[in-house]
Amino acid sequence: MKAETLKGHLDALLLAALEVAPQHGYAVKEALREGSGGRIDLPTGTIYPALRRLEQAGLIRGAWDTTASRPRRTYRLTAAGRRALSGEREGWREFAATVTGLLEGPPWPRTT
Amino acid sequence: MAPHHLIDAYLAELRRALPADVADELADGLTETYDHFRDHGLDPDTAARTALADFGAAPDILNAFAQIAPGRRTARALLATGPLAGGCWALALLTGHAWQGPIPTAARLAFAALLLSVVALLVIAVRIDHPYQRRTPAIAGAGGVLLLDCAAVCTAALLISVPTWPLLLAVTASLTRICGTAPALQRLLRKP
Repeated sequence: MKAETLKGHLDALLLAALEVAPQHGYAVKEALREGSGGRIDLPTGTIYPALRRLEQAGLIRGAWDTTASRPRRTYRLTAAGRRALSGEREGWREFAATVTGLLEGPPWPRTT
Repeated sequence: MAPHHLIDAYLAELRRALPADVADELADGLTETYDHFRDHGLDPDTAARTALADFGAAPDILNAFAQIAPGRRTARALLATGPLAGGCWALALLTGHAWQGPIPTAARLAFAALLLSVVALLVIAVRIDHPYQRRTPAIAGAGGVLLLDCAAVCTAALLISVPTWPLLLAVTASLTRICGTAPALQRLLRKP
């Protein structure tokens, strides 16, 4: 799956990847790849600007972890990030249900 | 020190355009990617080339950071709102026959020069090639906008006893811009 296909949904996926525990950029990328069965395998470099953008928006908070073998920046969800993720989930369910209903439901009504 | 000379060269390109902490974070991610491919049995050269391909082209990454670079959004917002605030003041000055006022010519020229400099700095901040080098002109431009708005509001408050509605509109526009610019400038100054 290409990055362009995910446009509009990447933020929600990144927030979801950070929901359980703080992670660094590469781990977020790997979580998306493994969680999607390999279908979402973004170029690693694209994750970092997206994380910085979410940090600027106050949805995640980054901090340097100096206990690893080399300094590493990890990110955790903020309270605003949790609220945003919850809203994204709700919006996605509604969107998916609507589109599924249209694509797989009964024949479309005739209009004049 | 990067684990491979190809990665070293790639990171050097990023370091020229990005602040140190961003480049350090990217270096960690790229090293992790390289280690991942080494762990999967690739030799150092192949692992480095595969890691770089996986990481993405440097111009693409720089462009992505350019979109979120501190300074760019501030500069664009100020350039976008400039004509509105300027238009309000032009209306206030024309309807108030400001050219008959007691403001010395030198002060008027200094104000005009500062206005032109601020516009130039903001345009530079938006158009400059290296995204994170936008910060300095953006800071100077935003500081200039604050100075211009404060000067305009203070001059109006000191010299005009009976305000007209165009003047009130212009003062409101300037005060709104001051309220928006001051926190943005504070954020720009805080960033590394």
